[in-house]
Amino acid sequence: MASLQLSLPSTYSVRPRPVRCADERQTLFNRIAPVYDNLNDLLSLGQHRVWKRMAVSWSGAKMGDQVLDLCCGSGDLSFLLSEKVGSNGKVTGLDFSKEQLSVASLRRNMSLKTCYKNIDWVEGDALDLPFPDGYFDAITMGYGLRNVVDKYRAMQEMFRVLKPGLLSSRVSILDFNKSTQPFTASIQEWMIDNVVVPVATSYGLAKEYEYLKSSVREFLTGKELEKVALQVGFSSARHYEISGGIMGNLVAKR
Amino acid sequence: MVRASFTILRDAGNGLCKTLSEILVCPLSKQPLRYCEETNSLISDAIGVSFPIKDGIPCLVPNDGKITETEDTSKTDDSVDSSSTKN
Repeated sequence: MASLQLSLPSTYSVRPRPVRCADERQTLFNRIAPVYDNLNDLLSLGQHRVWKRMAVSWSGAKMGDQVLDLCCGSGDLSFLLSEKVGSNGKVTGLDFSKEQLSVASLRRNMSLKTCYKNIDWVEGDALDLPFPDGYFDAITMGYGLRNVVDKYRAMQEMFRVLKPGLLSSRVSILDFNKSTQPFTASIQEWMIDNVVVPVATSYGLAKEYEYLKSSVREFLTGKELEKVALQVGFSSARHYEISGGIMGNLVAKR
Repeated sequence: MVRASFTILRDAGNGLCKTLSEILVCPLSKQPLRYCEETNSLISDAIGVSFPIKDGIPCLVPNDGKITETEDTSKTDDSVDSSSTKN
């Protein structure tokens, strides 16, 4: 059987970047998968759990809903959504990293919570979602949008698979905030340089976490994210800054 | 944090959850997929590509797809342009 080869255009940036195309990012996330959860807890002093609960609240997910967790990674948001939608609802967790999905699947299988049975895992690409139009009541994306190589395309796909209609299905996208305040940006970069990277180095993952700084620099600001959401067709978009502006959450309604 | 080192009884890798098989579509054509029990894969008849299922998880990244063998074996061009622009 022949392999399906996709033609991927080469990077166009004039300055060299340590992690450029989707394949390299996929490899990165595969490599950090075994320690991802531990590092999240350590580096955010457990705060990431609060931010993720906020993201799920903002998604509007409720009992009986069909929800999608994009770039689900090891499943943190998926597990929170699972509790929200209950046994009559369904959570689909999608990620392009096999290793991250293995961790998610293992966590679910080891958990005593029976409600987690309402989660299905799919290996897929946020830029080419394997779901029909208008299927989901809500979508979450935690620390994923910054890592996709085409943010506009990702938003288009999210819009496509969200249910249209009067009940206002939403996306809730949590990520680092690319701050327009120089002070906040400096604090963020200082923390990455002096806390995140040294800790990651002790896990043998210095290069992978150095990527974080450039990915935040190259990310879109809150206003820019709102603009892209409106451009792809969302009826409203609002970006909320949290934790002193270090993190942000975009909420867009279809 | 305890790291699990014992063997977990895993999904045999065969079959797919019913609800999932009903919602999934081809990531490229967005047309319905057909489950093939023989190869434990999801077939996109629209573009003649099959996607594997591993440990019960469907692998639907476009690069995971393999062109299915057709009656016309003279086809040698394996390249398919994705509709998305990946920069």
